[in-house]
Amino acid sequence: MTVAVCMDTCCRAKGAEGVWSALEAARRQLAEEVAEVELKQTAAHGLCERGPLVMIQPGDIFYLNVQEEDVPEIVRETILGGRVVESLLYEDPETGKKATSSDEIPFYAKQHRIVLRHNGVIDPTSIDDYVAAHGYEALAKALTEMTPEEVIAEVHLAGLRGRGGGGFPTARKWRSCREAAGEPKYVICNGDEGDPGAFMDRSIMEGNPHAVIEGIIIGAYAIGAHEGFIYVRNEYPLAVARMREAIEAARGHGLLGPDILGSGFSFDLRINRGGGAFVCGESTALMASLEGRVGEPREKYVHTVEAGLHDKPTCLNNVETWANVPEIISRGGEWFASIGTEGSKGTKVFSLVGNVRNTGLVEVPMGMTLREIVYDIGGGVADGKALKAMQTGGPSGGCIPASLLDSPVDFDRLSELGSMMGSGGLIVMDEDTCMVNVARYFVEFLQEESCGKCTACREGVAQMSHILNRICNGDGREGDVELLLDLCDIAESTALCALGRTAPNPVRSTIKHFGEEYHEHIREKHCPARECRGLFRYEILAEQCTGCGRCLKECPEEAITGERKQPHVIEQAKCVQCGACFEACRFSAIAKV
Amino acid sequence: MMKLTIDGEEVEARDGDTVLDAARRAGAEIPELCAHPAVSPYGACRLCLVEVKRNGRTRMAASCCYPVSDGLTVLTKTEKVQRARRGVMELLLARAPESQALRELGASMGVDEPRFPTVTHAERDCILCGLCVNVCREVIGAAAISFAGRGVDRALAAPFLQSADACIGCGACAAVCPVGSIEIRWGDDEVEVPTFGAKVPAARCEECGTPIGSAPFRERVQGQLAAGLSHATELCPSCKQQHAAAGLSRANRGTASTLPASARPVPL
Repeated sequence: MTVAVCMDTCCRAKGAEGVWSALEAARRQLAEEVAEVELKQTAAHGLCERGPLVMIQPGDIFYLNVQEEDVPEIVRETILGGRVVESLLYEDPETGKKATSSDEIPFYAKQHRIVLRHNGVIDPTSIDDYVAAHGYEALAKALTEMTPEEVIAEVHLAGLRGRGGGGFPTARKWRSCREAAGEPKYVICNGDEGDPGAFMDRSIMEGNPHAVIEGIIIGAYAIGAHEGFIYVRNEYPLAVARMREAIEAARGHGLLGPDILGSGFSFDLRINRGGGAFVCGESTALMASLEGRVGEPREKYVHTVEAGLHDKPTCLNNVETWANVPEIISRGGEWFASIGTEGSKGTKVFSLVGNVRNTGLVEVPMGMTLREIVYDIGGGVADGKALKAMQTGGPSGGCIPASLLDSPVDFDRLSELGSMMGSGGLIVMDEDTCMVNVARYFVEFLQEESCGKCTACREGVAQMSHILNRICNGDGREGDVELLLDLCDIAESTALCALGRTAPNPVRSTIKHFGEEYHEHIREKHCPARECRGLFRYEILAEQCTGCGRCLKECPEEAITGERKQPHVIEQAKCVQCGACFEACRFSAIAKV
Repeated sequence: MMKLTIDGEEVEARDGDTVLDAARRAGAEIPELCAHPAVSPYGACRLCLVEVKRNGRTRMAASCCYPVSDGLTVLTKTEKVQRARRGVMELLLARAPESQALRELGASMGVDEPRFPTVTHAERDCILCGLCVNVCREVIGAAAISFAGRGVDRALAAPFLQSADACIGCGACAAVCPVGSIEIRWGDDEVEVPTFGAKVPAARCEECGTPIGSAPFRERVQGQLAAGLSHATELCPSCKQQHAAAGLSRANRGTASTLPASARPVPL
């Protein structure tokens, strides 16, 4: 019997380590009584919100929200008794039906997992586990049966495009780098994922580090590079540890280092930790940081495939892109290209977050509609609220209104909608979300993360942030929207790097789809979503109010008056809209108007 | 040599030239604040934007960083280019509205008042073009100053926000600054760069004792001069002139002067 515990960052945050030690203690005890129980750790299974997750074989049993206290019951019932603990199973919120295995859960049923195929299944700390799951077979195939050109041709046939955001054809990048003059050549894996709410790359590195390494070695062989770097942000300590162990294990097995698998091809890989600057996800800034300089972008008129790291030909791809490579080599480019849409092949991993029922990691074929992702996989909007918008592509992405829910998700379609694929963040926003405030939030994030090198980004984004703050504070002026659009034009056409050039996306997309909200803030000084403080009022609904006095006690401004058991009243002149009364009321008697 | 087209004119350029170099040689007027022949292209100010056409694609590019290539088409004064440059100028003026140099450049581009308020703080009108940092590192080799902070907090500073110990008081930073943001105080005993909290001893003329700039800078220069020329750094301009005059009159003694009157040595 195998008991697997998901031990990634999400599950650890929810108590997986306690579950693990309790199971470990139980296993030691059981070893004397019953047949062997293998306890293994896996990572990034996907349904992160319901962690810690425990998977038991045989039986394909999938337990959610497992806490340390649940372990005795799991041991008694499942491990010893062969019975399923009903209370730990997934329950369909509509039908109340329980699901024993993860395949029966709609969240998993509609996914198509290529990159995440081993997540939650294999032990990321064990190279043997990866090899047992046919790991490194693609590498062996590439090194022994294929020429570098044939590898590139296969990736070209697959139609793989960069998963880091740009969507640049991977094979074209590899070929340019292979053909570029200059030695040595370098390959880089960009693991500097920094978008708020995004954790796809972290999950891949934590859940299946060898797939990333295998992809990089195959790419290096195709390009003719003998040295590679994995740039991971230091805020991902577990991902760094997993990658480091995996590199050492690969080296120990002769999969990294001189004469890999006796092919004559030599390649080695090392990890560099990023210092936490979002801009270091930009390729030239990342390379500057790798060289030990300040992580600031430079102009890319000479491409990094020609002059990148140390001015040598350098091929940089993101974690997910590299992780796709082994399956493409194993199963063929034609197979990969059969999944997805005309211009976007394969699958895409999203971190589905925000006001959605099932937050977590999902991998879907390109072209799946937003509706399927949000409703079928995500289970719809949380708390029975109405859907308002979906934000894709990280801080420089855009907001897509609920009316475009049936749009298929791929690189080109998202760009047409004024958003972008980005690295794959997908934030679901409900009716209580103020879209002006959303734009303000992302622009403020970008302002803080701008390196400050070029005028357009440093000054332009700061100006946008200033105006958006003004609007959200009720000081918006007639003409502010036009001024914002002009600033968008300036940043887009003049900024040095993609951070500045795409900073207008959150502003433009919210103005385009939710322009009325801007006008209501500016002209009527009212926030229709009732989120911007000062731009709406709290009022007590007399018919709902029981006169319990809770709100009166909580109000820091003594703005609420009323006799006990009589409806209370808020004195608007004194109210500072802190929301304490709203939070305190148990009878939904306080309304935002 | 390669050929490119700039504003409809065919222009020759050398490998390694930037579009800015080539366009200027062709007589195009392109504003910029962070390009300087002494340092490598940096691309921070974004004023030198032009449109470049390559492989059928037109894009906006910073001409100071864009390398020339055969067959490249460059447009330096389209409406699109000018609108973008004016936008950048407005952002710079909003940052440093008091800067006379910036106002003049702005006026020449048709920007008198920016539409935006001042939202970032410019110490002494500094627009963070990076020329001082780059000249100090690339040309002087001192790297006494750099940027600190990120985004709107970016500022010029000596390492760890302390005084610039590595400063040799050469004044190159002040010389290249496009907005006159860096002040140098040439004292009798010290050369001071208050902007970076740096102070170095002053050098004095070996003959008359007049202060002649920074002592560490003189040492640096002496180390780089050919043997026999080091005296060139030891005297003040006036003493140097007298020495030169004395030398000339010795050489010319007994013969009629063939030099024009203006160049003749002044009698001692």
